[in-house]
Amino acid sequence: MAMDDKRGYRSGLVDLRAGEVSREIFVNEHIYAEEQERIFARAWLHVGHESQIPKPGDYFVSSMGEESVILCRDRAGKIHVFLNSCRHRGMKVCRYDQGTTAVFTCPYHGWSYGTDGRLVGVPYFREAYHSRLDKEKWGLVEVAQMHNYKGSIWATWDPAAPGFTEYLGDFTRYLDLQLDGWDGREGQAEVLGGIQKWLVPCNWKFPAENFSGDTYHNISHRSVDLAGIGPSGAGRRDMGERDVSRKLHVCIPDRGHQTIHYVLPAGKSPPPAYLNAPIVAEYVRHCEEERRRLRGEEARLVGAPGEIFPNTALLSRQPRTMAVWHPRSPHQTECWRWFFVDRDAPTEVKHFLRDYYIRYSGPAGMTEQDDMENWNYAHAASRGTIARRYPYNYDQGSGTAVTNYEYQGLRVPGEVIDLTETQSSEQPMRNFYRRWAEFMEADDWSRLATWRGGERKAAE
Amino acid sequence: MSAINVRDLAPGTSIVLADGAEAEIVTNPGDGMWLFARYLSSPRDPTLVGQEEMIFAPDVVALGR
Amino acid sequence: MAERDARIDRLLLSQEITDFLYREAELLDERRYREWLDLLADDVRYWMPIRRNVKLGDDEGEFTRALSDINWFDEGKDTLSRRVKQIETGIHWAEEPRSRLSHLVTNVQVQGAEPSLAAPQDVSVTSRFLIYRNRVETETDILVGRREDQLRRNGAGWLLARRKIILDQNVLLSKNLTFFI
Ligand code: FES
Ligand SMILES: [Fe+2]
Repeated sequence: MAMDDKRGYRSGLVDLRAGEVSREIFVNEHIYAEEQERIFARAWLHVGHESQIPKPGDYFVSSMGEESVILCRDRAGKIHVFLNSCRHRGMKVCRYDQGTTAVFTCPYHGWSYGTDGRLVGVPYFREAYHSRLDKEKWGLVEVAQMHNYKGSIWATWDPAAPGFTEYLGDFTRYLDLQLDGWDGREGQAEVLGGIQKWLVPCNWKFPAENFSGDTYHNISHRSVDLAGIGPSGAGRRDMGERDVSRKLHVCIPDRGHQTIHYVLPAGKSPPPAYLNAPIVAEYVRHCEEERRRLRGEEARLVGAPGEIFPNTALLSRQPRTMAVWHPRSPHQTECWRWFFVDRDAPTEVKHFLRDYYIRYSGPAGMTEQDDMENWNYAHAASRGTIARRYPYNYDQGSGTAVTNYEYQGLRVPGEVIDLTETQSSEQPMRNFYRRWAEFMEADDWSRLATWRGGERKAAE
Repeated sequence: MSAINVRDLAPGTSIVLADGAEAEIVTNPGDGMWLFARYLSSPRDPTLVGQEEMIFAPDVVALGR
Repeated sequence: MAERDARIDRLLLSQEITDFLYREAELLDERRYREWLDLLADDVRYWMPIRRNVKLGDDEGEFTRALSDINWFDEGKDTLSRRVKQIETGIHWAEEPRSRLSHLVTNVQVQGAEPSLAAPQDVSVTSRFLIYRNRVETETDILVGRREDQLRRNGAGWLLARRKIILDQNVLLSKNLTFFI
């Protein structure tokens, strides 16, 4: 493919009017390299959760795009995110996954950094540097902005990026469903020990678009539905609350975030779930009651898979997880999955949910296995010279989204398609790739913050 | 070059440094490269006594008494 | 004489247990999953922790905990049976077309027998495995690690009562774990 070498990106790869996206954006190495600069160096990315680093000196090594980063809590209790690379000559400073430490000492020549990132130890500082090295200047590289949102830690390398809550826009309520307690209390989520990390041979956008709300691929999970791993002994999840709700695609057009979403009828509580485990059933019933009391109408929102642009996936109910799709090459993605429970839930409830989460998600998860197979071979079959000439089709439900959706008194902001009758749409993917194209084309955040009234350069 | 692995020395241990100074370990970060220690004596620079400094492992030549 | 008997008891048991592990591996590789399930105790626990990179000395932090943490696997017979059922649907795309597998089991060591080597009812055995998995055209995975098994006497044979699988990987290098280890 001929690349426009000035921009490294050719507009027209994302053609929303036709509902077509070129295969090049998944398999082309130049485009992949541009993504690292234009998307991953500028967007807000998910790093981890504060429950992973409860005490001063605790750290968790995470990843932002291709780069390794250290999430840590300094001696004063402040949370930081640092590039995990020594300022002297690049050595990966911390090669443990997690732990507690007073300093991060580089194994190569021994430069040592405090948990606040400051360079504190330089071997032969007096003798070899004649005390002239400016230690203040050579601390660990810290992200430009860090935000603790209800315990989840987000960061960006771009000082010009808008604040995180502005970046989220009207998507906030969906992240809230992930991080608040099931009983509606704020920020009650806790990460279970053990982060699943695994490699999938596909471009990072396959899982990203899938979690954006691919309602069409249900059929690919038929084998697990037949095997029955759901928490009530059948299917892959409890369907009661979904069956009585309106099923929506909700897209936040300026932001590139989107999700599947269910809305219960007014005054209706979710039908009983977790029938195999009375204690869990009772816990969930109690939580729903509390949530209605605390949140009123908003308690009618029922979460489902969603994606925060670019590479963070949400799922707030069954199973309750967050994932990040780390790009490793055009053809390889490292998936990381965090699993959540309510901090104050009874131990038996946590354990029951954990069992269910493990058999559902991740490389051993009976549902997700089939997703990864599809991402793997869709990618592989799109790499050829001939294959690349034919775009993918994202035309489903084009032109049917509304911006004033309301259901029995509950307004849902964003571009919304009610899928209850139509079953499916590809609006979420169109929304995702529209934002992707904006990131690839815009030179800076003054053009990306389109909601501030700046010039809109959509790919439409 | 001493043969002492500083990684597991307990706080409170006293150490002898290459220039003859003596110090007491305050914190050991356990990285095998550095110790936080307080000077007990320093023939080279007596003003260091009482001060806390980071000591680089190769400078530790012996354990004190 | 008694000492010699004890050594013979150990040898016989070791051979019997090794045979059991080989037969079990063969059932998996020959895709005779139902027969494999029959070798599992009803209360079997099948556990594969995630392994972390931790500092020397933090032995506990290296493995995720059974029953409470997230692991690669931590389940009983019901879920294991459902995995078999899923493969048998013929539409479990991650195993359809099916994988070609070879389990190489080695370094088998009987670690203990209760109540005695001469009349063992419960046996703990450790082994190493090398699993070669190949599927579709060129897709290949190699998994190597250790198993810690508890076997329980069942008439003339044995049942697997507990298996801990310690894989020598941190980031899982395979896209999935659709097979039994
Ligand atoms: S690369 Fe870290 S001290 Fe030299
Ligand atoms: Fe899926």
